Amino acid sequence: MGLEATPASTRRAPRRRPGAPRSLVIASTAVLLFLLLWQAAPPLGLVNGNYTSQPTLIFLAAVEVFRGDQLGHHTWISFSEFFLGFALAFAVSIPLGLLLGVSRTARYLLDPPLMALYIAPSLILLPIMIIWLGIGIASKIAVVFLGVIFPIIVNTMAGMHEADANLVRAARSFGAGPVDIFLRILIPGALPSILLGIRLGVGRGVLGVVVGELYVSQAGLGYQMTTYGSSMRIDRLLVYVLIISFFGYALTSFVRWLEGRVRNWKPA
Amino acid sequence: MNHVDIRELCVEYTKPKSEEMFTAVDRVSLAIPKGEFVTIVGPSGCGKSTLLLAVAGLIPVARGAALVDGRPVTGPGRDRAMVFQEPSLMPWRSVLGNVRFGLEMQRWSDGDLDTRALQFIDMVGLRDFADYHPHQLSGGMRQRVNIARALAVDPEVLLMDEPFGALDAQTREIMGNELLYIWERDRKTALFVTHDIEEAILLGDQVVVMGVNPGHIKEVLKIDLPRPRRPEIVDSEQFIHYRRTLRNHLADDLASMQLVRRDG
Repeated sequence: MGLEATPASTRRAPRRRPGAPRSLVIASTAVLLFLLLWQAAPPLGLVNGNYTSQPTLIFLAAVEVFRGDQLGHHTWISFSEFFLGFALAFAVSIPLGLLLGVSRTARYLLDPPLMALYIAPSLILLPIMIIWLGIGIASKIAVVFLGVIFPIIVNTMAGMHEADANLVRAARSFGAGPVDIFLRILIPGALPSILLGIRLGVGRGVLGVVVGELYVSQAGLGYQMTTYGSSMRIDRLLVYVLIISFFGYALTSFVRWLEGRVRNWKPA
Repeated sequence: MNHVDIRELCVEYTKPKSEEMFTAVDRVSLAIPKGEFVTIVGPSGCGKSTLLLAVAGLIPVARGAALVDGRPVTGPGRDRAMVFQEPSLMPWRSVLGNVRFGLEMQRWSDGDLDTRALQFIDMVGLRDFADYHPHQLSGGMRQRVNIARALAVDPEVLLMDEPFGALDAQTREIMGNELLYIWERDRKTALFVTHDIEEAILLGDQVVVMGVNPGHIKEVLKIDLPRPRRPEIVDSEQFIHYRRTLRNHLADDLASMQLVRRDG
């Protein structure tokens, strides 16, 4: 049988020139220029160094922070707040999102309040959480929980809801029952959407921890930032900014990587 | 006894907005002996796909019945398998995984499912693509996977709803001849919906012509062409005769549809 079979993936990839890609060269040049300008601006009298600090000073401050400053302790506090809040939110939102995805009644009942809570920044509830749960880690866990839960519920629900009706029908034609359809069609189909919800949730969770600690706290990375902010230690303050950015970036990249693995069957 | 016996079958839908009942298939009767290949043609809206879905047990029947082996169809069953027009392959499963799916659903326990699935992937000429995912395949290749998935569960009746409808003319012709070749091996009872007259004649032992408003059978044409049929058969005098007859039947319907459109 003469088959015309050229799968898309075997087509030749565009030729790549040797050496670093152009985008990387441009990006690192930009960063380098910015750092040089920042370093040079205070001595040239362009800006007040008390407010802007300098890359070299920040580097020295980072060495101090990593040597002592109880960085481990504060990181551990912030991490615990994030992790506990996230884990609780995950445990609640996935089943709830799946349920809302398959039950029309549940969706009609809960959709309006869910949407309102999804769109509103969960941080507006921070003052109430502090009143209810105190200034310790419990209130931050609650804020993370509230930040993470809604993006996951809403996106899980959407993923289930947008299931391909053709696939469901094809599965039924082979005798698939409701459980088979749920486990083998709806959930795999919703997985990319669920991971998107998780990625959005991670962003909101990190924000919740930091803002919660900035608002009022006794320990944590955000607490350290408040401390150094009020004593005008811009260099140390910026070290903490970098540490938090790094965590946020690392977490989001991890979820992106997971998304990529799940999506490898699907052209983006 | 006929293998598939459709008796005075009616299918009704409720129109989504008006709550009005709409008859998609009106008192259709059709008898199909074991091993016969029946093709169904007709203009869009004539209920040909609906009829097939009813035999598959995927939609409820208002009145009448579809009997397979003398038993009325009440839902999907192991005795039937369907090939759909739309790409109904799971994008997260490989070709092998998709062909396995029907076997998994029907709880096949005898022997290795992979071995059986591969045997059918081989049959449709995709041996080298077993690990590919659907988005890496062409439309024709995807439809081969759909056919392999349906054949792998060893149904007694094969239901095909415009399986080549979304393909280009050339691929369509190739696929039609391949299906003929595959079907010759065990000559399963088949119902095949198409809007392509030549395809209907080439494949069918009978061609059922359906009409619109409401969907009903207008004509059943016996196709007396020798089997196995070769691609050249489309140039034979008999084939051309059948084609002219069918075209005339369908032309009536098209003309009346245009009148309806002009009036309303």
